[in-house]
Amino acid sequence: MTLLNIDGLSVRFRLRDATVQAVSDHTFAVRRGELLAIVGESGCGKSVLAHALFGLLPRNAEVSGRAILDGVDLIGCGEKRLAREIRGRRLGLVPQSPATALTPVRTGRRLLAETLRAHQRDPALADSLAEQVGLDAAALGKYPFELSGGMAQRLVTALALAPDPALLIADEPTTGLDRPLVDHTLDLLRRRCDSGGTVLLITHDLAAAERVADTVAVMYASRIVEHRPAADVFTAPAHPYTCALLNALPDRAFQPIAGHPPMLTALPAGCAFAPRCTHADGACATLPAGPPVACHHPLVTEAAA
Amino acid sequence: MAELTLPRPRRLRWLRPGARGTVVAATVLVVAVVVCLAVPVLWPLDQSAVALDQVGLPPSWAHPGGTDDLGRDVLHRSIYGLRVSLLVGVIAAVTATLVGGLLGGVAGLLGGWPDRILMRVVDTVAALPHLLLGIFIVAMLRPSLGAVILSIGLTHWLSTARIVRSELLSLRTRPFIDAAISGGASRARVLTRHLLPHVLPKIALATTLMVPHAVWHETSLSFLGLGLPPHLASLGNMINDGQRSLLTGAWWASIVPGLAVIVVTLAIAALSARWRDHLDPRVRAELDL
Repeated sequence: MTLLNIDGLSVRFRLRDATVQAVSDHTFAVRRGELLAIVGESGCGKSVLAHALFGLLPRNAEVSGRAILDGVDLIGCGEKRLAREIRGRRLGLVPQSPATALTPVRTGRRLLAETLRAHQRDPALADSLAEQVGLDAAALGKYPFELSGGMAQRLVTALALAPDPALLIADEPTTGLDRPLVDHTLDLLRRRCDSGGTVLLITHDLAAAERVADTVAVMYASRIVEHRPAADVFTAPAHPYTCALLNALPDRAFQPIAGHPPMLTALPAGCAFAPRCTHADGACATLPAGPPVACHHPLVTEAAA
Repeated sequence: MAELTLPRPRRLRWLRPGARGTVVAATVLVVAVVVCLAVPVLWPLDQSAVALDQVGLPPSWAHPGGTDDLGRDVLHRSIYGLRVSLLVGVIAAVTATLVGGLLGGVAGLLGGWPDRILMRVVDTVAALPHLLLGIFIVAMLRPSLGAVILSIGLTHWLSTARIVRSELLSLRTRPFIDAAISGGASRARVLTRHLLPHVLPKIALATTLMVPHAVWHETSLSFLGLGLPPHLASLGNMINDGQRSLLTGAWWASIVPGLAVIVVTLAIAALSARWRDHLDPRVRAELDL
C-alpha cells in the first residue's frame, strides 16, 4: 500500500566555493491515503525535497538516491517521462508564493479549464473545483494580479487538484491565509486523504500539522530527525529538537531555541542539533541512527527501540 | 455593488482610447492601403513623363499637391511613392522581426553555448555601421525592391533578437513557468501558452517601430542611388528631390510626400499601441472598467 518510497535521497548544490547540503539521506515511505507533514524551520531543505521529486532543481544540483512513486523512480526516470506521465497527473504541486506562480495573462477560469483540458478532464469542472477550495465564481473571472494573496492561494490549490494527482505535494499551502481559510484548506487536504488521496504537506506551521497530519517528519538542517505518528510527536516528542520546537510555540512554553541552525554549507559530521541541545555529550559527535528518531539520547525510549 | 471608477492616465490617452482614436487610425490606414491598391487602375502614372511647361506650380484644383521642378504632379507621385514605401517598410520590418525573433528565441530558450555564440554574432554585426552593411548587401545584388527589402531585413534584426532573448531569459526563471511545468505542461505548451503571450506584444511593438525606420532606410538607399532608380516615385526619392525646390519656395514638393510618411506611420503606431494594450491584461482590465 506504499505510494511513495524514498530511499537514501540526498540533494546537494555545488557552488563555486562551497557545497550546500540541502537534503541528506532521506529514507521514508508514504502510504496511500496518508497525510504526511514535513515540518521544520525555514531553510532546512523542505522545499528542495519537493522540487527534487518534480525534477525542477537548478542545473548545479546533484541528486542521489531513489524516490519510487507507484513503481517509477522519479530521480532516475528522466525528464521526458517526468513531463509526460508524472508531473500533474501522478504528482501535483501546490506551489509556494502563489501570486507569482500564476501566468498573469489569463483569468483563473481559463487557467483552470485549460489545465483540465490538458489532462483530458471536463473543463466544466472548473467551477466545482473552485467551490471545493472556497473560491467564488466572481474571483474565478479575475486575472491573477487582481486576486488577493488568499484567493491566489486557493486558485493554485484548485489548479493542482485539477488533474486529480495520486500524490499531492502542498508546499506551504497556508501562508498568507487567515485562520478560517487555513482551516478550510487543511480540511480540504484531510478530506482528500480520507477519500483515498495522498498528501505530502510541507509546512513550518506546527499547528497545521497537528490538525490534519497522520504522520509527521521533523526536518532539521537537511536531515529528518524524527518520523512518527502525529499523535505521538505532539504528545511525547522523542527528539530534543522536536521537543524544543514544540516548546517554542506560543500556546506552549513560548521558549525560543537558543542559538541558530547551522549553515547548510558547513554541517557538522555528527548530530547537527548537538551545539544547541541540552542533552548533548561526546556521543553526539557521531551521526545517530534513525529514523524514526535520529538521536543518541531520545526523550522517549520505547519509540527509538 | 458600487462601480469603481479610476482616473485614467492622461499620457498617451489619444493613442489608446476606447474607440475614437483607434477608428481614426484604422480609417487612415485602410484608406491609404485602398488608395495604394486602386491607383494603378483608376489613375495610372507614367513614371518617366515630365511636363516642362508646368514646372513648380503651387497646389491648385488641377494639381492638389502642386508640381515639382520637372512639372510632375506631386500628389500623384506621392501616392505611388507611398505604395513603394508601405511595401518596403512592412515587408522589411516583418523580415527583420522574423530573423531577430527566431535567433533571439533560440538564444533565450537554449541558453548556454548557442546563446553565447549568437549574442557574439549580434555584437559583431552591431559593431558595423548598419547603413554601410546595408549598402554592401544591395551592392551585391541588382538594384530592385527585393534587394532593398533584404538589405533592411538583414541589418535590422539585432534589436529584436536582443529584446526577445532578454525577455525569455527573465521569463524562464519566473515561478509561474516552474508551476506550469510541475502541473504537467509540455515544452510546447509552456512555450505557446506561458512564454509567447509575454513576448509577442514586445515583438509587435518592435515591428511597428521598425516600419517608419525601414521607410527612412529605403529613402537613404534611394538617395545614394542604390535603392530604386531615381525616375521611379518613392517617398524617399521625392523628399530628397523636394529639398532643391525648397530654395525656390516650392514647399509642397517635399511637404506632401513628408506628410504621407508621417500620417501613415502615426496611424500604424497608434494601432500597434492599441493592440499592445489589448494584449496587456492590466490595461485591458482598466479599459473595461
